[in-house]
Amino acid sequence: MKKSILETILDPHALSVRFQPIFKIQGSARSIDSVEALIRGPRGTKFERADILFDYVRRKKAEAAVDQSCVTAICDAATGLPSAVRININVHASTLGHNSGFVDFLLRHLQKQSLAPERFTLELVEHAPTCNISELTNSIARLRSCGLRIALDDVGLGQSNYRMMLDCHPEYFKLDAYFVHGLSTDSKRRAVVESLVTLAKALESAVVAEGVDSNDDLLRLQAMGVDFVQANLLCAAIPLDELLATGYLNDPSFGKPARPEMRVKSVHRVDQRWTPSGLAAGQSFYT
Amino acid sequence: MELWSQACLYIDMADRVLIIDDDEQLVEAYRDYLSDNGYEVDCAQELEEAQTLLAHLSYSLVITDLRLNKLAFGGLDVIKHVRDNSLPTRVIVVTAYGWPELKAEATASGADAFLRKPMRLSELGKAVIQLAGARV
Repeated sequence: MKKSILETILDPHALSVRFQPIFKIQGSARSIDSVEALIRGPRGTKFERADILFDYVRRKKAEAAVDQSCVTAICDAATGLPSAVRININVHASTLGHNSGFVDFLLRHLQKQSLAPERFTLELVEHAPTCNISELTNSIARLRSCGLRIALDDVGLGQSNYRMMLDCHPEYFKLDAYFVHGLSTDSKRRAVVESLVTLAKALESAVVAEGVDSNDDLLRLQAMGVDFVQANLLCAAIPLDELLATGYLNDPSFGKPARPEMRVKSVHRVDQRWTPSGLAAGQSFYT
Repeated sequence: MELWSQACLYIDMADRVLIIDDDEQLVEAYRDYLSDNGYEVDCAQELEEAQTLLAHLSYSLVITDLRLNKLAFGGLDVIKHVRDNSLPTRVIVVTAYGWPELKAEATASGADAFLRKPMRLSELGKAVIQLAGARV
């Protein structure tokens, strides 16, 4: 009997992991702060695309089970990263709010793979009205006590709302590409981003802008006081071996402000479409 | 093949078809038949899988079993999904049940064609051509 797609997804070996750097921006210098681990579904299926994969998972109401499967796949892959590299993992807020076993599961896996919890940031994603808030905050408190950090993903969209900001006290606001894309030429988008940056600072959170795809947007974000950017413009989500091959993670300046020669010498626009394997034509990191 | 030669007059051969059925052998037979005739074919075994694919990809035609997710009329939810989301997608319902009321129910729900199993693949092909022809 052929496995259902959900059964296939629940096998961590069917999932693949890509890593996309998050850059700290300081003046004209940029350095890699951390990497976000991004899941791709079973190869050769339509569910290889993350948007399709997680839409399906939510329709099946299987977020908690799939989050565990993703954590397993990511922990396996993360063992190949240099130990100084910090790693972001996406988790549904509902998984932390409904399934108290997830925190134990995550900590057990980190221990099993000898990965220090302090290296991890959990990015809370939520597409459904939030769960049990006290359970969620208890889970977050446990995670923090072990050294993990919390990011609120897709801020401004869906259920990533003001209440989540107050209840979760995220160390990071991740601004969705929807608000970031084209803000240099769109005063309304700029107004939204400026208000979110102001709010984040007031709540003592750092801001990560996602989906930056032009230098003009990047410069604007920098002027607004955005601390971090994650962008195909700088580096797409790529498999571990390709990321390691860039050499950036092994550089002694990793995690510190970049030396002048580490700055972007030239930047290419990257095709925004996700491609199933490797770097597509036109994709690049620093060159 | 003559049937399909006629179809080429009407349809874009890159048309994408979604087959929804939990009968693997049947799905394979439909898929091979349609693929051999130039269609791009995706398959789903259950309602949520179908809804997800319909939400992200464009299909000109859906062929769905009436019985889905172990529900006798689960296929009607596929039609509902297509119509509620105003998708430009035609729907063929196939079923082993022969009750006339079912055909009426499926048609009232918005099915464009209703076929009874077992059927020859050529019957399916004819329905596909009719619907594709109606699109243009």
